[in-house]
Amino acid sequence: MQPQTLSQPALLSHLRALSALIRKDWKQYWRYPLNAVSSVFQPLIWIAPVYFMGQAFSVNGKAIGFSQYSGTTDFMSFILLGTVLESFINAVFWGMGYALKNDMDSGVMESNWLTPIPRLLILVGHSVTNLIVTAITSVGMLLIGGLIFGFNTSGDVWKAFLPIIPMMLGLYGFGFAFAAVVMLMREANTLVDVSSFLVQIFSGSNFPVNALPRFLLPVALALPLTYGLDAVRAHLIGTKTILPLQWEMILLVVFMFVMLWIGTAAFKSLERRVRTLGTLGQH
Amino acid sequence: MESKIGVKSLAVPGFSADVQALWAVVRREWTIFIRYPSWIIALFIWPVIFPMGYILTARALSGIDGSGLTTFENTTGLTEYVGYIAVGTMIWMWQNIVLWAVGYSLRNEQMRGTLESNWLSPTWRFAYLLGSSIPQLASMFMLMLVSGLEYAFLFRVNFSGSLWLTLLVILAAIPSVYGLGFAFASVVITLKEANAFVFLVRGIVMVFCGITYPLAILPKWMQSVSQWLPQTYIIHAVRTAALSTEGFSGIAFDLKMLVIFGIIWLAFGYLLFNMMERRARQTGAIGQY
Repeated sequence: MQPQTLSQPALLSHLRALSALIRKDWKQYWRYPLNAVSSVFQPLIWIAPVYFMGQAFSVNGKAIGFSQYSGTTDFMSFILLGTVLESFINAVFWGMGYALKNDMDSGVMESNWLTPIPRLLILVGHSVTNLIVTAITSVGMLLIGGLIFGFNTSGDVWKAFLPIIPMMLGLYGFGFAFAAVVMLMREANTLVDVSSFLVQIFSGSNFPVNALPRFLLPVALALPLTYGLDAVRAHLIGTKTILPLQWEMILLVVFMFVMLWIGTAAFKSLERRVRTLGTLGQH
Repeated sequence: MESKIGVKSLAVPGFSADVQALWAVVRREWTIFIRYPSWIIALFIWPVIFPMGYILTARALSGIDGSGLTTFENTTGLTEYVGYIAVGTMIWMWQNIVLWAVGYSLRNEQMRGTLESNWLSPTWRFAYLLGSSIPQLASMFMLMLVSGLEYAFLFRVNFSGSLWLTLLVILAAIPSVYGLGFAFASVVITLKEANAFVFLVRGIVMVFCGITYPLAILPKWMQSVSQWLPQTYIIHAVRTAALSTEGFSGIAFDLKMLVIFGIIWLAFGYLLFNMMERRARQTGAIGQY
């Protein structure tokens, strides 16, 4: 029987490589346990100023002004849900672009690139641990956030997963293209921070997008994540949606295919350019 | 024949060698800083987008008919929230950047594997930390200038106060902000989990110092904690100096507190650096990451 190794690429060897990547990231992540604790509390700290600010706009804990835009006076459940979903979105952004930057800094990027593993698989592998960790920390965040700020959901949790699936897959398309830009520019912090922050603002993670000034509204409506967050909130806390729910689902599925296609093409083209320039090993 | 003139080099420790080493660190940090041009994007974008998240949330909380805003005015006594939030978030950004840049300076060297070899050179070790703060301070002044201009022109914030008093507050705040950065960098070289510590420290500032709301909204115990944080006084003083016409009397108490906190934090940062550095050498943790 022929021994199957990584030097003979096949589905099995790819799966082994994927598992090795996930195990490596997992080990590295839990090696610094305080980081795990902080990933539960960090998003809660970000929304604490919103909580106190919101108190100043509310009467008996009900934000009447907020309900005119969103359809709910419970602004903290709205924001907490947005924060949890945003953590998943960031996991894909950070998981891929930032992991490549880490590989560059530690000097292992070039050697990893020389292995006979599909490059996109390396990117996916880097995001898996992040997604698992985000799922664990999100549960903690909802429990603790619920205790501190209050979190009330009355909707169907399973139905809420329907928009999440195409949204997350489409996000991988974004992530591929983004990781390629990080490779080219060899700088991730500013790119990751700025882009994820902008996406967070314009997709309405902390407020309903119809509160945006008119000239900024088209930016929000052009982002597939806006519809994803909107649909999940409608299912879970019964907020008003921008478009009918069926339309939002169709848009999410279309965006998913388009973004995966564009992201993959952009990554392949930019990755070829980086190899031609010979800057893969630099940081 | 042997020359009698001693060659002054880094290998002969002395004040001049220390200054040379400090200057070398400053130049290295500046070179690294300008090597990645994305800082230009950060310089112009962060001052706008960071407060924007809170400002837009406040706009949503105000409601279409402004009923929420009326409640806000009745609760806080403030009539305008944009400038208030912009100044609060600006000071938070300053402390946050210092924590990442100064606090991470030694940790980054540890990650790159150059800290141990640098440590073996006969230089004043605090120069590594101080040297990384100087270019950072220059870039922070640029950031503050750009922020002020963007707030005035994009957010239409009315800076009715005094520019000189605002500058005075910023100068008085430097020792506290950077002293905390030095202390932080010292802890990180030993404990290593830098991210978690940045999140903790900046989180405390974010929650307790009133970056988006008046402190009177906080529960009493939280107000007591905020009195022990220099950032509370920086935020209050900059708001008073830049946005109101109260003049020097409005910031006198804050300035006094900032001078006291500045002395304490600088001394604490320096002592902690020496202590942690010694500990890291004894345990052999300098070269680990």
